[in-house]
Amino acid sequence: MVLLPAVLLGLIAGAIRASIGKRAFIIPDLAEVWLVIVAFIPQWVIFFLPLGQGWASDEIAAAALVISQGLLLLFAWLNRTLIAFWVLGLGLTLNLLVIGANGGLMPISPETLQRAEIDFPAEELQLGERVGGLKNVLLLAEQTRFEWLADRFVLPNELPFNFAYSAGDVFIAVGAFWLLWACGGPKAEKLGLAART
Amino acid sequence: MKSKLFNISLKTSYINQQHVRAALGLGALVLFVLGAGAPAVMGH
Repeated sequence: MVLLPAVLLGLIAGAIRASIGKRAFIIPDLAEVWLVIVAFIPQWVIFFLPLGQGWASDEIAAAALVISQGLLLLFAWLNRTLIAFWVLGLGLTLNLLVIGANGGLMPISPETLQRAEIDFPAEELQLGERVGGLKNVLLLAEQTRFEWLADRFVLPNELPFNFAYSAGDVFIAVGAFWLLWACGGPKAEKLGLAART
Repeated sequence: MKSKLFNISLKTSYINQQHVRAALGLGALVLFVLGAGAPAVMGH
């Protein structure tokens, strides 16, 4: 959910850009939208439904995440005529790489949990355990493959909220913003057609 | 008159189609971002 502000900001910025340029705000006609819906269903059931977060074993959750993100990568590839999808796809590839290399869940270290001042007690978690029924697994930084791609960044502690995020998440946020920003640009109409050609 | 109504109807259906496509596109982007990202939600 914490990446959604990038979508909201992109929408606002794109709409303002279109309004200043006296143009229409045109959201591109994306190819194979059904694929993103199918890809998201397993994640929705396992990670997003409050009831679903407890029942799935770590193995099921890991398999669901890898398969789901694999399908999302295919979706990004099918929409590669839009430049923003290269950025979105790069972010997803980085996340999928570190997730796949570490057993199917996004690694996070106890140090990062501490730096982000989590709401639940980190000492109750075991190494290798899924964190909060979500996409993360607790691993020591030195035991993590591609650690530089893991959830290792946190916001400044002065902010009223905090979360850990990965380099891939940054690319995904930038790609989402860019796509919506482009919707208000002079090439938006061409962009809308380009997705299908 | 008939052709005018037909044109209005065509225009309306085109606008509706555009809205549906825009909503689908935006919805797909939101799902993509939620599914592709893996931030750890925490708090203070």
